[in-house]
Order: sequence, then structure tokens, then C-alpha cells
Amino acid sequence: MITLKEALALSKEELATFKKDLKKQIEAKPELNAYIDVNNVGEGVPIAIKDNIQVKDWSVTSGSKILEGYIAPYNATVINKLTDAGLSPFGRTNMDEFAMGSTTESSCYGITQNPHNANCVPGGSSGGSAAAVAAGLAIAALGSDTGGSIRQPAAFCGIVGMKPTYGRVSRYGLGAYASSLDQIGPMTQNVEDAAILYDIISGHDVKDSTSHESNEKVSDKLDASRKLTIAIIPEHVKDASDDIKKGYAKTVEALKAAGHTIVEKSLMDGKFDISAYYITATAEATTNLARYDGVRYGNRKEGESLHDLYVRTRSEGFGDEVKRRILLGNFVLSSGYYDAYYVKAQKVRHLIKDEYAKLFAEVDLILSPVAPRTAYEVGALEDPLEMYLSDIYTISVNLAGLPAISLPVDTAENGMPVGLQLIANAYEEQTLFDGALSLEKQLNFKLNS
Amino acid sequence: MQVDDALLKRLEKLSFLTIDDEKREEIIAQLSGIVEFVDNLSELNTENVDENFALSDSGTPTREDKSVCDSAINDDILKNAPRSEEHFFIVPKIIE
Repeated sequence: MITLKEALALSKEELATFKKDLKKQIEAKPELNAYIDVNNVGEGVPIAIKDNIQVKDWSVTSGSKILEGYIAPYNATVINKLTDAGLSPFGRTNMDEFAMGSTTESSCYGITQNPHNANCVPGGSSGGSAAAVAAGLAIAALGSDTGGSIRQPAAFCGIVGMKPTYGRVSRYGLGAYASSLDQIGPMTQNVEDAAILYDIISGHDVKDSTSHESNEKVSDKLDASRKLTIAIIPEHVKDASDDIKKGYAKTVEALKAAGHTIVEKSLMDGKFDISAYYITATAEATTNLARYDGVRYGNRKEGESLHDLYVRTRSEGFGDEVKRRILLGNFVLSSGYYDAYYVKAQKVRHLIKDEYAKLFAEVDLILSPVAPRTAYEVGALEDPLEMYLSDIYTISVNLAGLPAISLPVDTAENGMPVGLQLIANAYEEQTLFDGALSLEKQLNFKLNS
Repeated sequence: MQVDDALLKRLEKLSFLTIDDEKREEIIAQLSGIVEFVDNLSELNTENVDENFALSDSGTPTREDKSVCDSAINDDILKNAPRSEEHFFIVPKIIE
């Protein structure tokens, strides 16, 4: 597949032919199920879009039955930015229902295969976007990351996935899951493409009150020769699988060989991140998903009374994982439990953010696993708590609002990709991309398939 | 802490959801497991830590109070709504 950088140099005529061929290739592989459907806007470079980002006149459903029949009445800000830059939304990609999951198995459209092994999940929740890029069926894609939903599927599929600093990319038009954690980001074949796509979609937006007031760009200033101080967290890595540990050790050597300084540091036990995250995320999800009541959009189940209509619409429209998170969110917000759970989690969020701030006073980047192991077999993460625990390496980044990038570094014994992430201080995207580019060049790693 | 059927009923009410009979036991066990896990936060000392959290230190920006309305969005939403008439959403009767 051509890179985004190469595709941006194609003529309109070349792009038209390319997109016609691409659509045929996508339709020839329905079993992958990375795409829900393939529509196109404009004459630009095709970019696959996760099913929770509004594209005007498209069916946009967040992978949920409850949004069947909903047609987006406007473009998300990122979509306007894509089209303004000469890119085309091209196909919407499968995802866990309302981005709540780590496998893409909870989508109402069925599972998406991992292109490296059809019996494995592509990760989630942006599993369709990751699988499309990894299978050579997308030049690049947009995903969203609330607790690792860009970085983890990128790692499982062997591509690059980047979560920007909270506020860098407008959330206007993103189907909300947890508003203080959600960010849209690029999923690409390489680091430079990620920087290019990040530059296109980022920037201040008056329609998002949490949008950061700056428009700094990174892709024209990429510098792989910068020598950085990079922290490793041995305490965290010890619980990962042997494949991940091997990839981590190999990456540390590569970073040293590239001239970076490696220092050992520690962070608080990841179990606290998981607790603070699942309390915060479910509380916000409960609030955000209150709007799905069958009155204004989507799929209504008629009832005898308005109350009956609400309950039937929601009980039949939401899947099991979404219901679980709504119930949990209402638990942590309800009278009698609010202080012990929700307020406590917000306090712990301060501790997590402060701990990172202290660490970033001494280092430029942190090297971390993305997941405890390579892609899971289909059905292996059925137990919800098990699934939550698998988010241990990604969620503190969202809780602290930091930028991070996941990139492939090794192949596991079973042939599946091993991805690791670099994490930077808030608004330090330039350092993040420079470090990632340096690592990519030093490793010069290519996946087998 | 353990979630029981009475608490599940309360949460269903708050959530505008009903959980099917055959799934109740399973979901009670799952919710109990998750709540028991997140109870680990009590191991952390958070005395004197601010209970409000925001990622930006500068707070929510203010703006001029100008009304902005793209009425085409209203039209499109109503056109695709489950039931609508004359620019209204239709719901079951709520006043006898």
C-alpha cells in the first residue's frame, strides 16, 4: 500500500482510479469485516473513518443497534479538516459498541479479524481502522482513544497509532464515550504519516470548549537525530508476557544505539490506574449515553408510556458491555457511593497526573508496553474484569491527558506483532514524534506478512 | 462490597434499563467483582487532595453570548427521527 505522504502527491485522476481499485479490494475480503460500508466524500486521498465520527449524510452508529437509522446531520471538525486538506472520508470502520471494549467483538456488525491471524481479535475499540490499515485496505485511518482504543489495536495489528494530548484534536462530532478522556487520532503505516495526519486534524476549535488554544505543527520539523532521555519502568514490564519483554529489551537496546539516554524510573501500581479509569469512564459514559432514549434519533422501541419507550429502547438497543458500564456508572454516581467511588477516583487522578509531571521534569519520553501480551484469540476476553485488566498500560495516559504513540517493534513467537508505546509530556507532540521516528529508523523493523 | 438484587434494581431504575431474569445472576457477579476490584483505591491516601479534577489549569474559556443556529441540522434530525410531525418529535401521550 502506498503511504499517505505518497498518496498526497497523486493527481485527481490517479486518486479516482486508486479509490475504485481500493473499493474492489475491500469488497473482495468481506470476511475481514474491517469496514462496515464504503462511501466516499470528495476527490481526495481516502482515509478510513471510525464509526463514531460524524460524516454528514453517513449512517454513523458507534457500532450500536441503538443508532440504527441515524444519519449524521453535520461533519465532525476533523472531517472538515480532512476535506479542507484535500483528503476524503472513505469507508467507516468497525468498532466496539460505543468504543467500550478492547477487541471489537461487541460491535453490532460482528467481529473483525486480525489480518495476521483470522482467529485473533484486531484489538479495540478502533479494531476496524487498525485492521484496514494492517491489511493494506486503507492508506490511513482515524480512530478514537479513551483508554487505549487507538494504541492497543495498532499494536495488535502491527501499525502505528497515536493518541494526541487531550485538547489537541477537536472532539466536536465525536460520539462521546467519556468526555474527559476521549481523543481522536491517526492510525497509519508509519510514524511520518501519523505526524502528517495529526497535523491535518489537530488545532484549536471554538466548537470544543476543551480545545487547546494553539495550532503548532510537527511534520515539517521532524528530527530523528535529537538525543532524548527516555524512562523505562521495569516494575511495570515484569507482568507482561515473554514476547512483550523480549520486544521491550530489543527496543531499549535500539534506543541506546540511536544515542538516547535510558534511565530507570517507577510509577504507582497500575491497579490504581484501572480503578480510577473505570470509575471515571463509566460515570461519564452513563451521563453521555443518557441521550439515547429513542425520541430524537436512532432506533426506537415503542412503549405504552414514555417511560416504557425509554426503557424498551435502551434495553433492546444497547449491548451487554454498554449496559454493564451504564449500571456501573450510575452506581459510582449514586447517592451513598458518590464520595467513596467517583470523588475518590478524581482525587487519584490528581495523584496520577502529578506523578507523570514529576517524571517529565526529568525525562523526555517513557517507553511502555501497550498491552500485557499480543492479540488475544477471539472470545478469550469474555470476562469483563479480565478485559479491564488488559488495559493496564494504556489508561493512565488518558487519565493524565498525555500524548502517546504505539509502533510495531518485533514479531512474537506465534507470528503476531509486538507493539510498544512512547509517552510524552502534555503538548510535547514534537518530542513524541521525533523519538518515535528515531526508534522506527533504528529498528528498521518490517512485519513478515 | 457486594452488589445484590436490590442494588441492581436501583441501578436499573437509574439507568432506564431492565436486565433479563436469566442474566441477573451473571451481571450481579460481574458488577460485584468489578466493584470489589476498584475498592483498592482505599489503599491510597488522598487526604487534602482536590476533589475536582480538570485537565486544563485555565478552566473553561468564556465567550461572547451570541446565539448560533444551523437550522439545517434541526431539519435533518427531524427528517430522520423515529417519529416526527410538523417540526416536533412525537412521543406517547404524557398528560391524560
